[in-house]
Amino acid sequence: MTGRMASVTAPALASPPLDVQLEGKLDERVLHAAEVPWTIVVWNDPVNLQSYVAWVFRRHFGLAEMAANTLMMQVHTEGRATLAHGNREHMERHTEAMHEYGLWATVEKAPR
Amino acid sequence: MRFDATPRAQSGPDGVGTVLVEPDEARVLVSLADQIQALLADALEPGPDRDTALRRLLPDAYRGNPELADEWRRLSRRGLVDRKIGFARALSTALAPFAAGDHPGTISLTVDSALDWVRGIGDLRLVIADRMGIVIDGDEGTFAEPGLRDVYELLAWMQDALVQLLEATEPTNAAADGVLP
Repeated sequence: MTGRMASVTAPALASPPLDVQLEGKLDERVLHAAEVPWTIVVWNDPVNLQSYVAWVFRRHFGLAEMAANTLMMQVHTEGRATLAHGNREHMERHTEAMHEYGLWATVEKAPR
Repeated sequence: MRFDATPRAQSGPDGVGTVLVEPDEARVLVSLADQIQALLADALEPGPDRDTALRRLLPDAYRGNPELADEWRRLSRRGLVDRKIGFARALSTALAPFAAGDHPGTISLTVDSALDWVRGIGDLRLVIADRMGIVIDGDEGTFAEPGLRDVYELLAWMQDALVQLLEATEPTNAAADGVLP
């Protein structure tokens, strides 16, 4: 190909390096509501069986057996475990599902 | 009562197994399932939940933030109550014919009905634990009359048996979005 096109420089499609994007502005940018990180916390209760809680974690959150058991034991021994994080609406949907299963779950702002 | 995963093929492609039910067990379960439906209907009344068991069946989704908790309750309460009533109704509908009779009978469970059962039974256990005064792990309960404790144990056994049936048939789900770790 010849002609005018030859002098046009192709636009750079690669993202600028991460440190350039942030450039010290990480804490100043106002987050859209959907970006504020939230978590879903499942709390210990004296009623639900350990086998049931681990099964709910596998079935609803798609966790592998070992991860589900670890989180179930964390709920049991530490009183709570964080199961997922994301936007608020998403965490509310998980919480509603946990309540359907009879688990005690709440939505919390992610620690920053 | 006996759960059996073997006859799953007879229950169709969604079958998870069968449960053999004695009339006495069916009567107890139908009575409990009917009572919890009435209790759950109270949760649609305006104002704070008067029954402590309702606060455990339908807990606040936000701790220490009444405004967000109220908003969430307004948006989710009716749907959650309807679905929980549906779980209890699945139990009473399936068990009523055996509660009315003199002979044990077999009920075929599909994935969907087993999911309704396991959640309905879990809800019954939460209410009974509240009535027994079970507060912490390993708690025997302050008001644990033997009859109540026997039912509580039966429901625990059923919950475990249903989880085993469902585990044996369900495919592993893909990890949900945002799940830790």
